[in-house]
Amino acid sequence: MINVEQLSYRYPGANKRTLQGIDFSIARGEVFGFLGPSGAGKSTTQKILIGALRNYTGSVQVQGQEIRDLGPDYYEKIGVAFEFPNFYSKFTALENLKMFQSLYKKSKDNPMDILRKVGLEQAANMKVSQFSKGMKMRLNFCRAILHHPDILFLDEPTSGLDPLNAKIMKDLILEQKSAGTTVLITTHNMHAAEELCDRVAFIVDGQISLIDSPRALKLHHGQKRVRLEYTLSNEKHIEEFPMHNLGENTRFLQLIRQHPIETLHSLEGTLDQIFIDVTGRTLV
Amino acid sequence: MRLTSTISHDIRFQWRHGFYAVYVIVCLLYLLLLHFVRADYQDSVIILLTFLDPSAIGLILAGGIILLEKDQGIHNHLFATPLRLQEYLLAKALSISVLSTAAAWVIHGFSAGIPVSPILFTLGILLTSSFFTFLSIGVVARSHSINGFILLSQLYSLPFSLPLLYFFGIGREGLYLIFPTHGSLLLLQSTVRHLTWREIIYALTILLLWNAAAFIWAHRSFERRILLRIDERREQQ
Repeated sequence: MINVEQLSYRYPGANKRTLQGIDFSIARGEVFGFLGPSGAGKSTTQKILIGALRNYTGSVQVQGQEIRDLGPDYYEKIGVAFEFPNFYSKFTALENLKMFQSLYKKSKDNPMDILRKVGLEQAANMKVSQFSKGMKMRLNFCRAILHHPDILFLDEPTSGLDPLNAKIMKDLILEQKSAGTTVLITTHNMHAAEELCDRVAFIVDGQISLIDSPRALKLHHGQKRVRLEYTLSNEKHIEEFPMHNLGENTRFLQLIRQHPIETLHSLEGTLDQIFIDVTGRTLV
Repeated sequence: MRLTSTISHDIRFQWRHGFYAVYVIVCLLYLLLLHFVRADYQDSVIILLTFLDPSAIGLILAGGIILLEKDQGIHNHLFATPLRLQEYLLAKALSISVLSTAAAWVIHGFSAGIPVSPILFTLGILLTSSFFTFLSIGVVARSHSINGFILLSQLYSLPFSLPLLYFFGIGREGLYLIFPTHGSLLLLQSTVRHLTWREIIYALTILLLWNAAAFIWAHRSFERRILLRIDERREQQ
């Protein structure tokens, strides 16, 4: 679906290249996450992929066509939800969606159906200026999927959302994935990336240092051990055991038979820690 | 389809932000002013008002609308759709020209009746308004605040007021032929006298040429100074 080779970009007037020769490819229907701190180059990469920055070097192909050669009709195929959910504030949610929908050729869905899908049908005739951040983020998502895009670009889709709204947003993204849409997420929220992405790329200083699935990363970079928390004489105790031959580890078996267990966890890595280990940077 | 829906949205945007309501008041003030003007000056004052008004609407409203849109952070969302920049700019010019034309007809209709040549009068208003709209967009792309925009817009528009000197009998006509606004003033004089073919062709040609130049300038300015700056800002966040 998307093939990027030796992509470099320098902003006009800048001394340094923001992107320094990155390579990656994304398959149809995949959810791909760009993870990196602010200024790492993930937004620039997304801007190039959505055709907003054309004077890059290297190759960026979407569905076999070089992005810099594509005209504005490319936007019929992609949906973009920027981090800041900005709308015409004196217009209602429905008026905003109808306005944006009128700019697409193939968008025929009733905007009310889309609002219903994200739980905003009651707010359809409210001015956007009266919306909360969570409502705006859901409306932002509605605007991006109005025309059934093949590829969906989401910039920090769970940023600033409470746990309930973040869960709603994640479910909406997974629904798009199950409908076959290719989804690109740029974020510094490792937890969201872990839950949503088939693969993630770590990007720092305009370079990709690693690409893999969150599961493979966690297994590869973690310890093959389990941590057991149990109580003995009303005191909490913690012990760790190797996973290898755990079923024959007499101490482990004795503890789980004889004492109340509080928690039992495998010690695979967390994406946050793996990011720090691999890049030497934090995601701030 | 995209252009018509964008024009219709722009008109609703202007309505929703109260621009039309303000213009009803402005038109009423103009009519009140004309009521007190001596009859032998009235024709000149009407031409002057119908010249200054579309210029002012184009110049101030276009910039104001774009500053409002910038403030609402709408541009990056708008240009991640199939909307072309030229459609966006034309929609601004056409929607503002509708308001200018309506205002000019109200002022003229209620004070002096139907112009001698309604078509040339309307064309004069439309082309003057669209020229100043494009000029305003080029200027607002260079401004960071409403105060900066007001100051800069006066600076950029000042040379285009020079043909008013000829209107008041100062200087030879040849000195002003290069200005689009000389064409505007000629077309607006069609409200009181018949223009020669030569005058009509000159006025329309100079206005169309300057509209084309201002459109290209506005396009370049908006693309480089507003769209590209969005990207630079976002990456720094």
